[in-house]
Amino acid sequence: MIEYPSIARTGKYFVTAILLFIFQMILGLIMSFDFVLRGTSNTPVPFDILKSLHLNVMVLWLLLGFIGGLYFLLPKEVGRDIKYPVLIDFQFWFLLLIGTGIIISELFFTGKNWWLVEGREYVEAGRFWDILLTLGLLSVVYNVGITIHERKRHMSSPMLVLAAGAVGSILMYIPGEIWFNSIIAAEYFRWWVVHYWVEATFELIAAGAIALILLSITDVRREIIEKYLAIEVALVLITGIIGQGHHYYWIGTPGFWLFVGGLFSALEPVPLFLMAWSAYKDLKENKKPMQNKVALYMIIGATLGNLLGAGVWGFIHTLPQINFFTHGTQITASHAHFATPGTYLFLVLGFAYIAIPALSDRTNFFQLRGKIGFWILVIGFLNMIIALLLAGIIQVQLQRISGMSFMEVQNILLPFYGWRTIGGVIALMGGLVVTYDIIMIGRKKIV
Amino acid sequence: MNNVRLILIGLLIPSLLMIPYSIISFYTDFANKNPEPAQVTVSFQGKVYNAIEGKRAFEQYQCMGCHSIVGNGAYFGPDLTNVYKRMKGNDAALAAYLLSGVPAKGMPPMREREMGEEDAYRTVAFLKYAQMLDTNGWPNNGSWDRDGNIDGVQAKQISPSGIWQIILGIVFINVLIFIVIMEYERGKEEKHD
Repeated sequence: MIEYPSIARTGKYFVTAILLFIFQMILGLIMSFDFVLRGTSNTPVPFDILKSLHLNVMVLWLLLGFIGGLYFLLPKEVGRDIKYPVLIDFQFWFLLLIGTGIIISELFFTGKNWWLVEGREYVEAGRFWDILLTLGLLSVVYNVGITIHERKRHMSSPMLVLAAGAVGSILMYIPGEIWFNSIIAAEYFRWWVVHYWVEATFELIAAGAIALILLSITDVRREIIEKYLAIEVALVLITGIIGQGHHYYWIGTPGFWLFVGGLFSALEPVPLFLMAWSAYKDLKENKKPMQNKVALYMIIGATLGNLLGAGVWGFIHTLPQINFFTHGTQITASHAHFATPGTYLFLVLGFAYIAIPALSDRTNFFQLRGKIGFWILVIGFLNMIIALLLAGIIQVQLQRISGMSFMEVQNILLPFYGWRTIGGVIALMGGLVVTYDIIMIGRKKIV
Repeated sequence: MNNVRLILIGLLIPSLLMIPYSIISFYTDFANKNPEPAQVTVSFQGKVYNAIEGKRAFEQYQCMGCHSIVGNGAYFGPDLTNVYKRMKGNDAALAAYLLSGVPAKGMPPMREREMGEEDAYRTVAFLKYAQMLDTNGWPNNGSWDRDGNIDGVQAKQISPSGIWQIILGIVFINVLIFIVIMEYERGKEEKHD
């Protein structure tokens, strides 16, 4: 059944990614209680540790999901098996070991050892883990690179984009590890990691993967999909690379960034719109019956989440005139909780719903459960996003414009934080349904 | 045009532009007049701590896990860019504030997180440096962060009237979401028939 034996090793990547996602949601849910019950309850784990775990666990499962997706899709495209199949297993356990190390360090060594926990948002993992993680990821680059180099078939551009995105994500982890004395330079390069992940390299992975998946499930002509992909990717890079400037408005960098960053980041929604529109057009023209409806749901969710969460929600506060007031408020939290799960969660789930039925030979699996899980996730996240957006608007008006104090505004926002917690509970239930579904589809056959 | 060439142009032009932009941001007369972290110091019991050590302490105790600095970080606590100004430049008061925390508002005593007095003063040096940054005017004049008063308001609990208001909002939004989902699923069924 499976043409290339090494892809059988990728199943554990997806299952672990989804389990870690559940863990991330539980962490987020506990933190949301910290907002609602501020000061009254002593949660056993302090907020900052939960927050750093919330982000680092996400980085870990995104990397696992993307690496798994890459290893799963690559052999078919290059016409040969992965060069070193053993490395797939080894890298998985290595990443998991580092992940466990990061979690234990966060829990027990925060504030005690700078080499174990660094405490900078998104790259909290300490220097020691940074170096190990980079080495592990570079071995992925090597394995993928040598497989592509010794390919037996002309490689299609979606695969090239996907591989470039994965390799780029791994390389972009490095700028965040350089030590700077000045907070300005440190923030400047910390955003290279975060922004170039979500607005450039992860976006390439998303564009390439969506194109590949559309190619495999529809009968739309290959040239059309590839042409659109090239335009999308070129636009993502042109707008995203300089669109970095929207992080440089208020960190102590010169004022020309207000113009440059504002201009290019205002254009960032254009490729995302093109991506959603071309996917819509392809699916409408398609006449081939589609079996795997759940994977299709996830891919449509990823394109729409990308367009709305990253594009629209990003655009509403990206112009410097607006960002002057919205910077550092719950508006940003709303944007982050829309763009990241909206795009990358559904993308990883899309990978999982394509890979796991294929690996466990259950391609005609029962689809209703996955669809229900998808919709519960959507409802949960939308509640969270809307609650945070309303909270952000109120916070901007009261704290930034009327000049009320931080704590006074936080007291007013309490009901919205309660709403956000309810959204989180719903999303967690959706996540559990999807996890159960994936484990049931893959039971006894994978890992 | 060749697809790969188009992508490469899209990658190379902005990447090359980032080089002069980065240089202008730091090494020319255009760069903002920011303080040198090594020269911003506070002294405590005869010892002098600078903002470089302070930055390391700020990272080590994970201040960014609850607070934001220049607006980046978490939004559980207030922004710290101007906290030194809010404390009227009083090093000892700020260090004491860090060490004892404000448990009633959700800030743990940093002493319990094994922060010593030395590290507290190091962090104070960093915060002194942070409020000297030229952040293009952010946060805006008239905002609480900028004008520099200590936040005297206490944390409250959610009120029953607030709960009812929010339940109304939740029901309204979720009915809307549910209608959209139902319409989507029904539209697909009709297409199949």
